[in-house]
Amino acid sequence: MPEIVEPMQPEVKATAESAGPTPVTGRIVLGTSCTIHEARSLREQMMVQAVHPGPFEIDGSAVQQIDTAGVQLVVAFALDCLERGVPYAWKGRSPALDDAIRVLGVGALLESPSGVFA
Amino acid sequence: MTLDLAQFHETFFAESFEALDQMEAALLKLSAGDADAELVNTIFRVAHSIKGGSATFGFTDVAGFTHILETLLDQMRAGKRRVDASLVDTLLRSCDLMRAMLGATQQKQPIDKARVSALHAEIELIMETPGEAVATPAPSAPVMAETAAPAPAPAAAADAPSGWRIHFAPGPKLLQHGNDPLRLLRELATLGPCDSRVDAMRVPPMIELDPEDCRLSWQIDLRVPVKEAVVRAVFDWVEGECDLRLESYGPAFDAAAPVVAPAPVVAVAAPAAAPAATAVVPAAAAAPAADDGASAHKAAAAGDGGSIRVSIEKIDELLNSVGELVITQSVLSQLAAPLEGHDAEEFRNALGQLERHMRNLQESVMRVRMLPISFVFNRFPRLVRDLGQRLGKKIELRLTGEGTELDKTVLEKVGDPLVHLVRNAIDHGIESPEARLAAGKSAHGVIELSAYHKGGNVVVEVRDDGGGLKRDKILAKARERGLVGPDEELSEERVFNLIFAPGFSTADVVSDVSGRGVGMDVVKRNIIELGGHVQIQSTAGKGSMVRIRLPLTLAILDGQLARVGDEVYVVPIVSIVETIQVRQEQVSSIAARAEVFRLRDDYLPIVRLYDLFGVEPQHTELLDGLLMIVEADGKRVGLFVDELMSQQQVVIKSLETNFRPVVGLAGATMLGDGRVALILDIPGVITRYQSQDKRPASSAQQAA
Repeated sequence: MPEIVEPMQPEVKATAESAGPTPVTGRIVLGTSCTIHEARSLREQMMVQAVHPGPFEIDGSAVQQIDTAGVQLVVAFALDCLERGVPYAWKGRSPALDDAIRVLGVGALLESPSGVFA
Repeated sequence: MTLDLAQFHETFFAESFEALDQMEAALLKLSAGDADAELVNTIFRVAHSIKGGSATFGFTDVAGFTHILETLLDQMRAGKRRVDASLVDTLLRSCDLMRAMLGATQQKQPIDKARVSALHAEIELIMETPGEAVATPAPSAPVMAETAAPAPAPAAAADAPSGWRIHFAPGPKLLQHGNDPLRLLRELATLGPCDSRVDAMRVPPMIELDPEDCRLSWQIDLRVPVKEAVVRAVFDWVEGECDLRLESYGPAFDAAAPVVAPAPVVAVAAPAAAPAATAVVPAAAAAPAADDGASAHKAAAAGDGGSIRVSIEKIDELLNSVGELVITQSVLSQLAAPLEGHDAEEFRNALGQLERHMRNLQESVMRVRMLPISFVFNRFPRLVRDLGQRLGKKIELRLTGEGTELDKTVLEKVGDPLVHLVRNAIDHGIESPEARLAAGKSAHGVIELSAYHKGGNVVVEVRDDGGGLKRDKILAKARERGLVGPDEELSEERVFNLIFAPGFSTADVVSDVSGRGVGMDVVKRNIIELGGHVQIQSTAGKGSMVRIRLPLTLAILDGQLARVGDEVYVVPIVSIVETIQVRQEQVSSIAARAEVFRLRDDYLPIVRLYDLFGVEPQHTELLDGLLMIVEADGKRVGLFVDELMSQQQVVIKSLETNFRPVVGLAGATMLGDGRVALILDIPGVITRYQSQDKRPASSAQQAA
């Protein structure tokens, strides 16, 4: 099941005040299974995160099973970020997620846009 | 909320069973040692699709077995393994097993794991045995050759283009139907190197996105020379649910190939210009030109691209509603009849239009239920092959009229009786090759199954050129069992009909006719329950023919209403020859038991319906009423009725369901005035008439 971790507001904010990279206000942790079965709940929780101003961190390191519906959601989230000009970054991508991104040819869409923190 | 894939299970099962029928038909055509490439491809595609579907739905046993089967088929496809009778036999058994596994899964029953393991081991053993490679693979066979990276690529097909640009735009509901482009693109990659570029233009903002809809589409460059059919086969399972276009590349593929490096979002979203060297191959245009059957298959499939699967219950509900409308329309017509004046005339005109529209509507709905008899015939090549092999008989099966259509319900119910007849023809009709040669016949026996329309009915014939029925032996057996009196003489037809008699067990009948009675009473009963009739003809030493006459539909009938006293009967119009008035002097009696009258060169029995069904008539004098000459199974009788009423289509309501079966009645219907009318079953009427006081068969029959 997808897991979404609540924004790490106190810590992030503290980091934001420092001179380091752009602070993360939202983090999306993809669960072990991101398929059409989990798509609705994953979307709902992404929507909850989307209200934050960003930047976002996407952790895909736990993904073991993913299908087109799961990848499409991540793409939709990335496109929303792009449209809002909100940066995001990948914390990690599992081999299963990487393979799905490669086969579906969405790698270019999920690249961190230039200027975005990494 | 998660997606319930179970709602697509039935569609998957239905499509898989149909695909297995195709696989079986292809296997039967696969003659030993001659691996027709397209047949092998067809078989492979079925296994491949079932594997993919069952994996999607989590039917792991089915997916596991079809995986190993697919591997074996791939060896055949690659020309690495020669097809022989033994291999075909294994594949046929695999087909049976897949059917059984899918059936068990569908019924939520346990799968016979021992059977699966045994066949699995057998296939593994075959694969471990070095296969005798086909010396020269058929030119159209896509030959799989292992390549180092990134994926096994088919060796160049001589007449295939150097590659393909594939435009794949799934319909929005594709994911919800259990299909996954990720899986399809992975399968495509097994053909050879491919580069996919996504088009995310249709992906709406997250807030508007239904996450179960598919909004992505792809442009894929497949850099391998394979035939179009091979590429399209990957998308078999999503046919009708996506927009799929293929552009072929010529030899300058590499030069013309687009840059496939990751592109920025805008570039991805922009429509890519087609390279100058490409040629758009629309499915419909390409199919006729393609030299392989797969394309033809695709073309056929493309032809019914607009079709949908509808449950038979829904069609029956529709048909029932139409039936009720017919009754209502009939009520309106009846109410309008006594009206007078200008308005009444207009009203009646409108009713006439309504009647025409109703008839069109009824016919349209009926056509939806019609299916070609090939759905039943298709099982016989396998049956004949297997049973013939087991009995050591050489049998050729000839099928004609497979396209003849009849109602789905009739079709479903006629299958088992036909299996009985064909099995009996193989088992007991066709002689052994030695016996045939000794009788001066070809060693190969012939069984012919044919279907055709005749007089509002569908006729199905099962013929064999075997030894035929032995009249004397049947008669002797019937006398021994008391079915026929010691001195009673029967016509040849009636003797042959004895094999349909219940209790005419064949176990103790002499061998050359034995088995002809096994289940034959059940065959006849089933056909009669369908409103059909069975006839048998046989010539000793030359063979037999069983002719089944079936109604096109069980739901609606064109009838002539006839009144007898206060009762109204519906006589099927297809059975009516003519209606006449007879004078008493034309009538004579036979042994004081029956009245017959002369009609031109025939003597026909008179069946007084009031007498047959015990109703009070208006007239008993023949001159006061009418004789309807009706015919069934070559027998004609005159039905005496008080008067004829209108002709109309009636909706048949089953007597058996609502009351009980009555010999001579096919059902009942509701008339426009709300009265119930009984529908005559003419063969049943004749049977009922003959059984009264053992009256003679029709005079026409006797005269003949």
